[in-house]
Amino acid sequence: MRFLVVDDSSTMRRIIINTLTKLGYDNVSEAANGREGLDRLAAGADVIITDWNMPEMTGIDFIRTVRTQPATKNIPVLMVTTNAAKDDIVEALRVGVNSYVVKPFTPETMKEKIEAVLAR
Amino acid sequence: MSTQTTIETQLVDELVSATRDVFKTMVFRDVIPAAPPLDGSALKPGSNVVGTVAFAGSTSGVVAFYSTLNTARELTALMLGIEPATVNGELPDAIGELTNMIAGSFRTRMADHSHEAWAISVPSVTIGSDFHTKYVSDDVQRVLCPFEIDDKEVFVELIVTRRR
Repeated sequence: MRFLVVDDSSTMRRIIINTLTKLGYDNVSEAANGREGLDRLAAGADVIITDWNMPEMTGIDFIRTVRTQPATKNIPVLMVTTNAAKDDIVEALRVGVNSYVVKPFTPETMKEKIEAVLAR
Repeated sequence: MSTQTTIETQLVDELVSATRDVFKTMVFRDVIPAAPPLDGSALKPGSNVVGTVAFAGSTSGVVAFYSTLNTARELTALMLGIEPATVNGELPDAIGELTNMIAGSFRTRMADHSHEAWAISVPSVTIGSDFHTKYVSDDVQRVLCPFEIDDKEVFVELIVTRRR
């Protein structure tokens, strides 16, 4: 299972990668914004985990682009963000995010959400 | 040093809850409120690391996090799962992310009450010595929340622009 973690915070990328490792997922690549994320997707990914607020290209614009490209449009996407107001979640789901993890999060929450998007 | 009474209790309570939740889940430590929240103008925390995130909406202001450099290094190590001695360039990003999560969680909690999601800024982090933060407008209310984590002290401050 190949994961792509997209977040401008190196701390948050490390926390997510540590969490994935604890959950048994160790094939993880990373990118610091949506534009880098699109480049990394050329190598393939089975699940995308992305932040919302990032420079260069936000998580919302990144997912909007991912959903328009035939090679990537069906990849499950988890958004991990502090933007957790109802309107935020509605906007994220509308552009094609499959599930939402609100920071701060526990490994159990991450596990549940990953299993849910993989089961779709 | 006076106990705060001016900023709405709900704002302070939600900030304290957000801080405790972020530390428990992302730093893997409990932070305990060390004293009742204080009028922010009454106390200047002795800190060399300050993280800030601004918010704007029906209520506008700043959430600030304060700690010493050593404590910030230990918090960074706990967040990243590494030894404090190996922390180097990671500290500013880690404290920025910690502040961002406290402010973001606070924003979400307040949106549940007001049904309005405030805009929030990207975090900024200042590291140094012999400095204090000053907000240009005097027309603000400040409340400082002291916390203990293990045997160390950290502070979270809420600065709110007065409503006109």
